[in-house]
Amino acid sequence: MPVTLQSKTLLPETIANLLGLSGVAGDIVGGVIGAIIIANLLLVQTAVAGPWAKRKITAAFTNRIAVNRIGPFGLLVIVADSVRLLSKELIIPENVDRPAWDLGPLIIPFSALLGFAVIPMGNGIHLADPETGIVFVFAVSSIASVGLIMMGYASNNKFSLLGGLRAIASNIAYEIPLVVTAASVIIFTGTLQMSEIVAQQAQPLFSIAGVTIPQWFAFVNPFAFVLFIIANLAEVGRNPFDIPEAPTEIVAGYQTEYSSVYFVLIYLGEFIHIFLGGAIATTLFLGGPAGPVLPGFIWFTVKIWMFYLFTQWVRSAIPRLRVDQFLDVGWKGMLVLSFANLALTAIIVGVIR
Amino acid sequence: MSLEEPEPSPTAVAEPPSTGDEIAELLDGLVIDRESHLNAPGMVIRPDSVQVALRRLRDNAGFDHLSCVTAEERTDRYESIYHLTSFDDRQREVSIIVPVPKDNPVSESAAPVFRTADWHEREAYDLVGIEYDNHPDLRRILLPETWQGHPLSLDYDQDRPQIVTLSEWENPLAEDHREDEGDTMYVNIGPHHPATHGVLHVKTVLDGEQVADVDPDIGYLHRCEEQVCQSKTYRHQIMPYPDRWDYASSGLLNEWAYARAAEDLNDIEVPEYAQVIRTMGAEICRIASHMLAVGTFALDVYGDFTAIFMYAMRDREKAQKILEDLTGQRMMFNYFRLGGVVWDLPDPRTEFFETIRDFLDELPQALEEYHDLISSNEILQVRTIDTGVLPPEEAKSYGATGPVARASGIDYDLRRDDPYGYYDQLEWDVVTEDGCDNFSRLLVRLREVEESAKIIDQCVDLLEDWPEEERTIQSNVPRTLRPEDNAEVYRAVEGAKGELGIYIRGDGTEQPGRFKIRSPCFSNLQTLPEMSNGEYIPDMIASLGSLDIVLGEVDR
Repeated sequence: MPVTLQSKTLLPETIANLLGLSGVAGDIVGGVIGAIIIANLLLVQTAVAGPWAKRKITAAFTNRIAVNRIGPFGLLVIVADSVRLLSKELIIPENVDRPAWDLGPLIIPFSALLGFAVIPMGNGIHLADPETGIVFVFAVSSIASVGLIMMGYASNNKFSLLGGLRAIASNIAYEIPLVVTAASVIIFTGTLQMSEIVAQQAQPLFSIAGVTIPQWFAFVNPFAFVLFIIANLAEVGRNPFDIPEAPTEIVAGYQTEYSSVYFVLIYLGEFIHIFLGGAIATTLFLGGPAGPVLPGFIWFTVKIWMFYLFTQWVRSAIPRLRVDQFLDVGWKGMLVLSFANLALTAIIVGVIR
Repeated sequence: MSLEEPEPSPTAVAEPPSTGDEIAELLDGLVIDRESHLNAPGMVIRPDSVQVALRRLRDNAGFDHLSCVTAEERTDRYESIYHLTSFDDRQREVSIIVPVPKDNPVSESAAPVFRTADWHEREAYDLVGIEYDNHPDLRRILLPETWQGHPLSLDYDQDRPQIVTLSEWENPLAEDHREDEGDTMYVNIGPHHPATHGVLHVKTVLDGEQVADVDPDIGYLHRCEEQVCQSKTYRHQIMPYPDRWDYASSGLLNEWAYARAAEDLNDIEVPEYAQVIRTMGAEICRIASHMLAVGTFALDVYGDFTAIFMYAMRDREKAQKILEDLTGQRMMFNYFRLGGVVWDLPDPRTEFFETIRDFLDELPQALEEYHDLISSNEILQVRTIDTGVLPPEEAKSYGATGPVARASGIDYDLRRDDPYGYYDQLEWDVVTEDGCDNFSRLLVRLREVEESAKIIDQCVDLLEDWPEEERTIQSNVPRTLRPEDNAEVYRAVEGAKGELGIYIRGDGTEQPGRFKIRSPCFSNLQTLPEMSNGEYIPDMIASLGSLDIVLGEVDR
């Protein structure tokens, strides 16, 4: 067995032990408290990413200053914006299809948060480690598509409907390359369990001048990594793949009719989805929480923020494609390349073994 | 009917007719009277021979540009004037005047001959009340469908309330649900939409993601600009208003349109020194306007990629600063006067010239950035090349002018073809592109900025060396101007968006009897259905952006 970076105890167990509980009660209390901790960690990060970091990053790319008036570096704008957004009127248009219209914005953040249940974040912050971990992540993060189409269809607005349809089209077109590329990693690891995938990446790939390069799959198969990142970008609907929202074309797509709290929930969901995308990429390709000197959780956070920064960079630097060109790239480019990658990986792995 | 008969065209080979007599000969049997406008001979024809006359002029005499249609109610008749000219030779002009009786104001439509007549005649019907036979779609265009009366007609009752109850007014969502079994979907794009550049309402029928039909609905920003000008005096009162037509940094170009028409009407000379200042100011305006056009177009295509917009605004800001130094204003300049400009260049002159030189020196690098960011970007090219195609013949028929026409390969620029100001003494080129698509329109604007920079540079050279004692900024213009009764003139300048024409009819008083604005945006916007039918929604939005319309000028 390889040396694991992961402590063998999961977060709920640790909490139960700390509280001196055992058995079913320990499982339940530990699980609930652990989930609350992880969810809040993410909500805090989202709060920083949404109202503050996004503005700062975009401003840096477009030669502007952005928020700098309230608090140090303008950080207190997060508080101001939260109050502002939550105190706005929640407009419910006539003839919307309730409760589907209300459920849509709830599904999106929760599907993303569910995915984090199986992500190993280092330092024992790991809620559950089922044998089918990676499948679970893809399954729950795809539930968001249901939320999108519910919103698009229930809003009784044609721009919403168009946005919902576009969201589904893009999710189908890019979900397949995403999963197929992830499968090429599974061929290396031979397991779907997240902790195992992370553990295998800790093995040394080669050493140069005393520095050991670990066997991160981004180094082993950079091509798959690039494919995965692109498909991931489309999956979270960021530019140049923000076709479902496309403000200049279809106003705001599926979220046109949402205001106030629902608007916040949708944006919350989108940011958590970006972080989940980063977390999956980190776990599959970047050694999870592994890294020198600093504790694992810090490394994990740094890695998912790098992915976030990357999405914002791309957003500021690459124009949006047209919807048909976007689907062309997905079906004719990404799909073919991801299957080629899968087949090649399978052959190479087969020959080596 | 005789309308459809092909005309024998022996004259087409020979020198095209341009004098009044030659045109009258060509229109043999159709002309019932002759008039003389200051810019062109006027031919009066019967209301039922409009199509045959225009078709004959277009096919046999090369009058292929219906620049404007002016309609007016006179005390004894209604009158439509078709201002015809030629894309190849702008200085050949003819006015076709079609009087119709008061009791039966019906005139034949010119829309089957020139498609641009469609909207122009709708406007004439809407505001003046002339009806056009055979018109494909004679609806109101600027005012709501429920409007009572025609505001520019003589017996219009201004005090009549125009209140329309909700039940009487067409349900704006009614069309939403038409065609229950159809495969198409009706969408209102605008009047509140991120990409309409103002309050424009595009009634769109979609077939999936593709545009099956678009119908631009304008008039949300109609401010009676023509009527306002008719109630002001020539000498000083009208000049502030042109700034408000195309308010997106084209102020001086608009002022020049009025100045040119009014100066011709009143026979006013403009000193050379003032002409150079005018030319320089106008070209700075053009740069500012094109910067905005390029920035917003990129925003329409790029989505959240706002960097290019910020870059464009940054460079536009420099131009704005120079204009502020020159005129004291950033938008509503009110800098031109009939017979010159209001004041000389700001002191100290050397510092002012330095600012302009710095701006011009930095411009090539800025343009390089634009080309890096936009025109050489592969995704942008994929998005814009071969989309929104406007073939040259269609462009001519729709009366498209300015960068829109030049991007369709039409070599037409009033600064060169109908020279005014100081343009004919400077070295510069007319930019054309043959692509006819959104990308070409973008390129034309970027390249025109370079040409404008050349012009400004030469103007600064001239101004620097201008002897101090010869710096006359205004000629001697009488305090009140009263052009003769029935003196008529139609003059145009090359605005940032295209041919901006003004028709003025003097009525012997110090206010115009009729003031008509030929807005380039109005004619250019008319090409939108031609460009976007059958394309995807994003391409329709891109085409709209590439037309660079300013709704203040479309609606006036």
